[in-house]
Parts: sequence; structure tokens; C-alpha cells
Amino acid sequence: MMKGNRNRKEKQLVRISFSLNGQKVEAEIKSSTILLDLIRDVFSLKGTKGACREGECGSCTVLLNDVPVNSCLFPAINANGKNITTIEGLTKSDGSLDEVQEAIVQNGASQCGFCTSGVALAIKGLKYHYKKLNNSKKINAVLTPNRKDIKKWLEGNLCRCTGYVKIIDAAEKALINE
Amino acid sequence: MTDFEIISPATIKELFIVIKKCGKDNFRFGAGYTDLLNELRKKTEPELKIINLAQVKDSQFTGIKTGIRGLWIGAMTTIQQLVSNQIINREFPVLHQSASSLASTQVRNVATIGGNICTASPSGDVSCALVSLNASCEILRVDGRTRMISIQDFFLGPRKTLLNRDEVLYRIFIPQNKPTSVSVHSGFIKVGTRQSMECSVVSLAFHIQSDKKSKIIKAGLAIGAASPTIRFTESACNFLIDKTLKNISESIKDEFAENVVVYASPISDLRASAWYRKEVLYNISKSVLEVNPS
Ligand SMILES: Cc1cc2nc3c(=O)[nH]c(=O)nc-3n(C[C@H](O)[C@H](O)[C@H](O)COP(=O)(O)OP(=O)(O)OC[C@H]3O[C@@H](n4cnc5c(N)ncnc54)[C@H](O)[C@@H]3O)c2cc1C
Ligand code: FES
Ligand code: FES
Repeated sequence: MMKGNRNRKEKQLVRISFSLNGQKVEAEIKSSTILLDLIRDVFSLKGTKGACREGECGSCTVLLNDVPVNSCLFPAINANGKNITTIEGLTKSDGSLDEVQEAIVQNGASQCGFCTSGVALAIKGLKYHYKKLNNSKKINAVLTPNRKDIKKWLEGNLCRCTGYVKIIDAAEKALINE
Repeated sequence: MTDFEIISPATIKELFIVIKKCGKDNFRFGAGYTDLLNELRKKTEPELKIINLAQVKDSQFTGIKTGIRGLWIGAMTTIQQLVSNQIINREFPVLHQSASSLASTQVRNVATIGGNICTASPSGDVSCALVSLNASCEILRVDGRTRMISIQDFFLGPRKTLLNRDEVLYRIFIPQNKPTSVSVHSGFIKVGTRQSMECSVVSLAFHIQSDKKSKIIKAGLAIGAASPTIRFTESACNFLIDKTLKNISESIKDEFAENVVVYASPISDLRASAWYRKEVLYNISKSVLEVNPS
């Protein structure tokens, strides 16, 4: 009995370290901790939302090494050694908005705002994606996503307010602004 | 909601040790976690351990390599890696299309090909494409040995595979297109209530190779979400051999579609009735042969 209890306690905590919005951080967590909960409850960054917690809505999107993932379906333990960017990390250090956030504001692409941080990070991820594509290319022509590519990329971000047109407008704006 | 403990081996050797140590304990493997976490949230299991495959460093397990006879894809390769791979895009469009129609950007970036197979969902998109390509699964046992199984035989039923509990899926092998094949007519059709996410009413993967006289020399077709497991429609494939793709009559198309539909034993559920699923399957099967003469 005693041993079982001790085992249960011992097995629980794991130390992980990763970069969160450009800063090196460490945490001692239960190995079953989900990244979304780590971000919101341990690091108190409440900009990342958890609307469905099933991978359907994208409100929990963060960038993992510049690539968008759903933090609600991601074990925090696998963030060890990685770079995580949340919406708080998108804003520049002087407090001014990132170009993606700026485009969302300019295009009225946010209403209740619940989906917005996820949308902003997904668009940022699309920018990084094309940057990588263009860097790895041998030819000189610059690839840019069209509206169809943008729609496809944002499939995993549900919005109940805006009707999407303004979100896609904003993405287009942010992407052209290179 | 099931609580669990995650154990993260860093190498294949450590993986074996962890599996052996877990012995008869209740354990599962975790790859991209997109199926697993949703499954665990819906039920309560006592004392569950998850052996984390995501931190195992092994280039064969995580990457795509060309071999002499075909392509080797590590089980931990993400769906997004499949989408971005140029060889897959060029040689096996059916696999490219199935991968890019799976879920969403966020899910594709973490979900793995191995997870798609081991979940053994009748509507697994990438799995359906792999069945049409006659892929094989390389299974790794704790003693370090491997065995190869055709992917068709790998699926025993919904959520049931041939894997023993201490075995992992290591790699997937896709045989090269035939040397005499000069063109491939290959694609993935997914009919669903939404364009993305896992809502297929029915799906069809096809990979048809023709020689320089435009004669079909090899055909692979598989159907998803239409029976308890993904089915390879063997008689429909054989039916196509020696026919010329650009020159197929309406009655032959009908006969072909009938050959496909016999493999379907769909159920009625909240997404569609069995009757509707069969009708759709019949029509998309015919559409596979609607190739513009050029
Ligand atoms: C919102 C959403 C939408 C989705 N849409 C689609 C869709 O459109 N089409 C589709 O096909 N699927 C879809 N899925 C299901 C899922 O994303 C895919 O099946 C995915 O490929 C699973 O991979 P994973 O790495 O996340 O698997 P995990 O969840 O990590 O594992 C799944 C199962 O396989 C086992 N396993 C994994 N890897 C191995 C291995 N190497 N050896 C032995 N066992 C292993 C695990 O133990 C577990 O039982 C969707 C899921 C979500 C959440
Ligand atoms: S909360 Fe993660 S996708 Fe909805
Ligand atoms: S702005 Fe309300 S959900 Fe998108």
C-alpha cells in the first residue's frame, strides 16, 4: 500500500525546459500535462483559448518551432527543447502590434475575439511556411499563397462571428506585406 | 477522462527497455496524440502508461527514404511531411491528396502516418491511400527483429490491428510504380459533410498505371468508411487490366462501379444512410474513369 502511494507520487513530476515567446523557461509538470493548460495555468498566458479541446476549432493554436499546432492535443512534455510562440509573443517588445495583428484590426477580422489569437498565429505560421519555401527554392520566383491557399491553411480555425471573409482579407493583407 | 503517465524513451534501444519494463501493465503508445488524447478523454482507464514515441531519435522511424524497390516511410513521419514530399507528390498523387485532405494544418503538423494506420479507423484517409498502393507495414518487436505485413492484412476490424501489444509499427513500404508505367492516374476522393476533418461519408483511393500504349497495366483501388475496415477492391482492379483509360464506354464504367460497390457494407449513422453511402460510392467510382480524352 505504502509503496504504491510512494510510486504514484514519484512518477508524477518531470522537468522540462523550452523557449516561450523567446524566453527560456523551465517547469516541473505532471507528465500528463497538456500544453494548453501549461500555458494558461502555469505561465498565466490567457491569450491562448481552449474552446473545444478536441482539435476541431483552432482557438488553442500556438506556434511550435514556427509551425501551428493545437495546444489542446499536445502533451507539454513534447515541448521540451522547442520554441513555443503564443499570441503574447507576437506583439513586439515595445508593445506595438505584429503585422498580422495589425491586418486583423485594419480589416475588422475580429468580433468576439475568441478565435482571434488562434487565427493570428495560424496566419503567422503561413508566413513562416512561405518564407521557408522561398528560402529553400532554387528558382528566383517568389511564391505567395492565393486566397484558396489561405482558406485551405485556415481550415482548422473556426470562427462563429466574422463569416471568414474578413479573416481571409486580413491574411491576404498580412501576407502581401512582406 | 483517463489520467496517465508518459514515459519518453530517447532511442529505439531505450524503447525496448521501456516496453519490457511495462510488461503486463496497462500501456499504450503515443505518437502525435491527435487520436489518443481524444480517445482517453472519453473513457476512464486505471493506471495507464503511455510510451511516448515522439522523442525517439531514429532517422528511419521519422523520415522518408527512397530504396531500390520503393519508398520507405517511418511511422513517425507527420502527415505534413507527406504533403511536402516531392517524390510522393510526383509518383503517388493518391497519397499526397489523402494527406492534404486530412484534418487541418494544425493536426497535419503533428499527426503521424503510423498513428493513422494503428488507429485502424475505417475512414482513415492516409491508410486508405496506402491500401490502394499495396503498401506493407514493417513491424518492430522488442527483440529487435522485424516482420513485414501487407497493409490489407494489418487491419482486423475497427480499431483492431494485427500488432501484438509489445510491437510497434516501424516503417511503411510503398512499392515503386512499374517500370513500364508511363503515366499514373491517381487520386483521392473524399465525400463528407465538411471538406476537412474526419467526417467522410465515403472515400475512394485510386492509383492506376498505364503503359506507353495507354493500356492499364496495374490498378489499385481502396474504399474507406464503407465497411468495418478499409477494403482493397481486388475484382474492380483486375477488371481494369488491359483497358484503355481514355476510351471506356458507359457500360464498362457501370460494370466497374458495380465491381467496387460489392466491397461495401456500409452502416447508417448520423452522417449518412447505408443506401446513400452506396449510391455515392457508385457514382464516385464511375467518375474515376471519366478521363478527358486528349
Ligand atoms: C480534429 C481532427 C480531425 C481529424 N481528421 C481526420 C481526417 O480527416 N482523416 C483521418 O484519416 N484522420 C483524421 N483524424 C484522426 C487523426 O488525426 C489521424 O488518424 C492521425 O493520423 C493519427 O496520428 P497520431 O500520430 O496523432 O496518432 P496517436 O493519437 O498518437 O495514436 C493513434 C493510435 O495509434 C497507436 N500508435 C501510433 N503510432 C504507433 C506506432 N508507431 N506503433 C504502434 N502503435 C502506434 C497509438 O497507441 C494509438 O492507439 C482527425 C483527428 C482530429 C483530432
Ligand atoms: S481548443 Fe484546441 S482545437 Fe479547439
Ligand atoms: S471573432 Fe468570434 S469566434 Fe471569431
